[in-house]
Amino acid sequence: MDCGIFSKGSTMVESFDETPSAEDAAFVARVAAHLRAPETAHQSFEKRLMDKVRFEAASLYPLASSAGSTWWRKEWVIRLSPRVGIAIAAGISAIIALSAVAVGSRISASSQPSRTAQATPARDTVQLVRFVFVDSGASSVALVGDFNEWTRGATELKRSGAPGVWSVSVALTPGRHEYAFIVNGSRWVADPLAVKSSDDFDTESSVIRVGTAGKRET
Amino acid sequence: MKAKRSETPSCDARELSGSHSTVTALSDAELIAAVLAGDIDSFSGLVRRYQDTCTRFAVRMLGSRVDADDALQSAFMRAFRGLRSCKDPAHFGGWLYQIVVNECRTYASRQRRRDLRFPPAADAIERAVAPGSEEEVERDVGGHIERALSMLPTEQREAFLLKHVEELTYDEMAAMTGVSVPALKMRVKRACDGLRDLLEGVYNG
Repeated sequence: MDCGIFSKGSTMVESFDETPSAEDAAFVARVAAHLRAPETAHQSFEKRLMDKVRFEAASLYPLASSAGSTWWRKEWVIRLSPRVGIAIAAGISAIIALSAVAVGSRISASSQPSRTAQATPARDTVQLVRFVFVDSGASSVALVGDFNEWTRGATELKRSGAPGVWSVSVALTPGRHEYAFIVNGSRWVADPLAVKSSDDFDTESSVIRVGTAGKRET
Repeated sequence: MKAKRSETPSCDARELSGSHSTVTALSDAELIAAVLAGDIDSFSGLVRRYQDTCTRFAVRMLGSRVDADDALQSAFMRAFRGLRSCKDPAHFGGWLYQIVVNECRTYASRQRRRDLRFPPAADAIERAVAPGSEEEVERDVGGHIERALSMLPTEQREAFLLKHVEELTYDEMAAMTGVSVPALKMRVKRACDGLRDLLEGVYNG
């Protein structure tokens, strides 16, 4: 197998000979054959799903619940005298004119440059964020979060000179990320200086929001 | 770095086969048109058509029938809510499958977080993949394969399943996952290597 690593811009790309050996192909075929065995959804799957679907249907597809008899789908004939008709038309014109003036002033206001506005982040932009953890009794500290799929050992912090200070820099995409520290291989610790979040298991994690300028917006 | 994919995808050209003959004579496009016109019960025709195919992927991806059921309930609901955004109803299967893949990825991340917080006993993991006697191995080859698969990183497991179980082309996988073809090839290769290592003693060929 010819494996190699070369650098393309800032992205590490690995290349390899993708033609598998006969032995590899036979192994994959045997494994895949087992995994291709059919599976059946639970017998109550459809009923449970359709119960939820019907519950939501009224708001999503209102035609279903209206059954074609609601007042707004009927034809109505309203008879007005010419004088009343002219008065209503004049009133509608005035409302439209006032609305146009209001919208115009809003557009001109919003076209002024805003100090707080930020450019929409590019999807592949990353910012280097430094995580620091202080615990004089720690012998190892790891960082887990949605950015490393909560994988233990994927991101280890290193001692940073001062006693008990651990740190690591991680490239994060702009947006909201959840994370926690694992101390001495097993103790789960939320960042004491960050916003807290609780998951389905009532476990406290921390939240970091990364802006386009790399700002940490905890 | 992987961007979170939570939005309903645009309709995809890949066809996912469903058992049309046993479900309903109406096509996907006809069923979708009926739902959008207000016949909500027509959605059950789409559910019946695709639930088993999607179940296989979800069970293999998540290694748990309970989690797979949850993920699929959520995925089908997302499909229902976003039905208007399926621009090519004739290829509803591919569009749905894309939602299922994304939903399973989200659930896999939750599983990993749960296991990290409440780790299974170390000896249970060892027992899970260690080959036993020859007779035991013979009896539970399938179980060993599924456990080995579950131990691969999520992205490798997903790539292996899409390539070798669902039999998609790399171009189809790239369109579905948003990952480049070279990266997907590397994931599949690493998955194969990982499975070989984990299944050493179960398969020697």
